[in-house]
Amino acid sequence: MSGFWIMVTGALVASCCGILGCFLILRRMALVGDAISHSVLPGIVIAFLVSGSRDSVFMLFGAAIIGFVTVFLIQLFQNSGVQGDASIGVVFTSLFAAGVLLISLNASQVDLDLDCVLYGEIAYVHWNQLMINGVEVGPKAVWLLGITLFLIVAVIGLFYKQFKLCAFDPALAAAIGIPVALFHYVLMGLVSMATVSSFESVGAILVVGLLIVPPATAYLLTDRLGTMIGLSLVIGVISSIAGYYTAAVLDASIAGCMVCVAGVLFLLAFLFSPSHGLVVRKLRQRASTAREAY
Amino acid sequence: MKRGKASSLKRLLWVLIFLTGTTTILAGCGASRDAFKEEGKLHVTATIGMIADVAQEVGGDRVEVVGLMGPGVDPHLYKASQGDIAKLEDAAMILYGGLHLEGKMTEIFEKMAKKKTVVAVTKNIPERQLREVAAGTHDPHVWFNVRLWMSATETIRDALVEKDPDNGAEYEARAEAYLGKLEELDQYAKDQIATIPKQGRVMVTAHDAFGYFGDAYDIEVVGLQGISTAAEYGSKDVTGLRDMLVERGVKAVFVESSVPKKSIEAVIEGAKKQGHDVKIGGELFSDAMGKAGTAEGTYIGMVKHNVDTIVGALK
Repeated sequence: MSGFWIMVTGALVASCCGILGCFLILRRMALVGDAISHSVLPGIVIAFLVSGSRDSVFMLFGAAIIGFVTVFLIQLFQNSGVQGDASIGVVFTSLFAAGVLLISLNASQVDLDLDCVLYGEIAYVHWNQLMINGVEVGPKAVWLLGITLFLIVAVIGLFYKQFKLCAFDPALAAAIGIPVALFHYVLMGLVSMATVSSFESVGAILVVGLLIVPPATAYLLTDRLGTMIGLSLVIGVISSIAGYYTAAVLDASIAGCMVCVAGVLFLLAFLFSPSHGLVVRKLRQRASTAREAY
Repeated sequence: MKRGKASSLKRLLWVLIFLTGTTTILAGCGASRDAFKEEGKLHVTATIGMIADVAQEVGGDRVEVVGLMGPGVDPHLYKASQGDIAKLEDAAMILYGGLHLEGKMTEIFEKMAKKKTVVAVTKNIPERQLREVAAGTHDPHVWFNVRLWMSATETIRDALVEKDPDNGAEYEARAEAYLGKLEELDQYAKDQIATIPKQGRVMVTAHDAFGYFGDAYDIEVVGLQGISTAAEYGSKDVTGLRDMLVERGVKAVFVESSVPKKSIEAVIEGAKKQGHDVKIGGELFSDAMGKAGTAEGTYIGMVKHNVDTIVGALK
């Protein structure tokens, strides 16, 4: 059973990340997941200082709040004209540094790094069951991520057209009266929620990887946003399943293998995509030069 | 246009159904390998090598012990591999350090305790003997006070006896013998450390894993880093440490097997500039033991190695 739940968890993370990642890639903000994975440090330190415990409930709460602060600040700076990558860089490094400072001032003797208190391990999701009235109803991570996925699908589904226009052409969107800034904030809020709850369940590398790699792969395969989201979901789910079995064969880290499989799929798409692939482009180039010579 | 979209959505749905279907089937077959090889023995999984070693000593031929974290693996930086699932799943008993040594995994162990025998080996150590590092939070590196590790040994013995009462007498006898050896080890450490002149009895390491060691054997422990391997260290720590080394004429500093050497080398360089030579006193084992099959690959050998290295360098 543990294998099954691991793959379900992986697929849920892949789905949450796959949908949001497509919009992030279009907005050239794909690294925001990585940024959140670092910037939540002050959140867990403050949560520890306030609660005096390293219980995951407090850690998750602290991380979630600082996660929202992170994306809010990134979006705020970007709205005010700072470059997207620069605003990500500024916000996450400053917040991470603030976390390091807080640890060295208040809790240098306590083991408080993100790996130890926040990041979960996908291999063990099976044992962290949610209990309702003393009955086990499936792993906590599956519930947490399932609810997150539901919210993402609901919000994106309801305002799909608006999100699409904001991602492709914010100027046009603003011109026809869509509150672009608001939709940017909502999208980033969803990203923060998805990444923080995934960190807690499965650790950082899987989330950051699945937020970028499957959407980037899908981007090579199609020019339509709807298809891109669909492909990115499929690629993410395949990565989690194939990654799990790879990990079983190699006896290696499961999250690591899942992201590696996603990387391999990206490479394949990069080389052999029918529309944007390296091989196809080279062939086309040769054909056209041959035609010219003819 | 609309129809095209609907049919592609349908296709996507089919792909997803197919994928979940195959997954379920494959997961049912299971790609797991056996974590334990010998039938008829009590299967025990331990998180760190020190616990695995004691469990093997007490259990003898009656138990098969596997460790999650191998030699040289820092528990703070441990990453689970797929095979570790089977190690935990197939074990009849799981032994872990507790006191948040295993980080977030601690919560998993607490959950698992409802279904199988999962024991924190430090659970019977009285709270006043633990080093409090912040309100309600304790230093988990108890194994460097051999007395406290004797308590852990007793906890392991009791757990084995309860799980496998038929062989209880054997576990009791083996534990008795092993506790005797630990008592000797404790005395050895006390005697040896006492031969270092009081003024130079300072051990500087890059990792604060030796707090219990310092308390138990009367040697001052100065760490460059906080308890967490991942914490950064401030430059004030580096200069403060350098001045202390020069002032007290401390002859050596220690680098451990699981911490990068770079941080401590910065301090040595600083002391040299002030005209005081400090050696690297040799490697101490902190969070992990040496390779299996060597003397340092056992708990007793590891503590002896540390004591001898410290005494040899500082005396």
